[in-house]
Amino acid sequence: MKLNDGLERLRHCASNLAEIFVSIDEMRLVTENGQKRLGMDIRESMTGTPPLVSPSRYLIVTLGGWYLALNAESVCGLLTLEETGNVENLTVHGRVHSALNLADRLSLPDDAGGANTRVVLLSERESRGSIRVSMVQGLLDLQPSQVLPIPLQFRGAERQWYRGMILIAKSVALVLNTTWILNEQVSDLESSGGQEALPGIRRPPELL
Amino acid sequence: MLRTGQKHHRTAVCQPWQLLVFAVGGRRLAVKALEVSGISQWNDSIPVAGRTPFVTAVIRQGQTVLPVFDLAASLHLTVQGSRPLCLRVKHPLGEMAMCIDEEIPVLHVFDPAAIQTYQGKDLPAEGSYTNGLDEIPILSISLLGSTV
Repeated sequence: MKLNDGLERLRHCASNLAEIFVSIDEMRLVTENGQKRLGMDIRESMTGTPPLVSPSRYLIVTLGGWYLALNAESVCGLLTLEETGNVENLTVHGRVHSALNLADRLSLPDDAGGANTRVVLLSERESRGSIRVSMVQGLLDLQPSQVLPIPLQFRGAERQWYRGMILIAKSVALVLNTTWILNEQVSDLESSGGQEALPGIRRPPELL
Repeated sequence: MLRTGQKHHRTAVCQPWQLLVFAVGGRRLAVKALEVSGISQWNDSIPVAGRTPFVTAVIRQGQTVLPVFDLAASLHLTVQGSRPLCLRVKHPLGEMAMCIDEEIPVLHVFDPAAIQTYQGKDLPAEGSYTNGLDEIPILSISLLGSTV
């Protein structure tokens, strides 16, 4: 029953993200991105006069003690563990969202299992999947200039994993590349240690 | 004009090297002072999962985010002291930070003639100099984190 309740909430997710995100705790997300206002909350972000250059919206989550950011355009739903009914591969509107272990792929401590754990449903083109995060912090609207590039010294496969960095509180949130998260082929090859055949992923140089 | 040029030439040839000598895991290393952009107290780094050896974190200093090169790990050493320092260096790909021992770095001036070839293979070096029985390598910042 709980799963059905959760799925019901997802019914309109593709057309209206606000309905989904309004369930997020209205936690103020303090940023230091040079904005005049240092805080943003969920409802405020849904209203007001749009700026001349439309910002990108990011869902800020934590996992393994890290801040991570997901492009909100790829997020189509949030569920509590209870709402998923402990079903790993959720089927929504006849489409399967396979469970992806993000903590494992990023070699992070998997602390997603507490009361604040949320399952984030992701979709991009024909790819779909779900990830567990330990907490959802909120939404953040940012101009493109506020997303910092990954430093060039990071030369390995991680350049495919991240889209940039966001200054948040006194820390940094890494913007995840949803395409990489959802790309099972890359995941399988990486977990087996193979990198040679992956287009666009270079073997990291040997050092010293 | 010619005389001035000769004077400049002679100055360039004889110009001493200013080296900043610091320690990592108790081992003394040097870096050209011109390649140092700052020294400050080390703040906790933010890990970044990845595959680049020894570049596995960033630090935030105000609005700036710098990649961290783990020099201690690359030398199989552990940074000493409870209050380590952050050495910011000018890498060709952008400024980079390294965590070093809490021992305050010292500026030394050397005659280039005293600089010799570094025989070790454990780190990229522009050369070395001898201080007593110790051979102190001069780090080649541009080669840190890249293929040698």
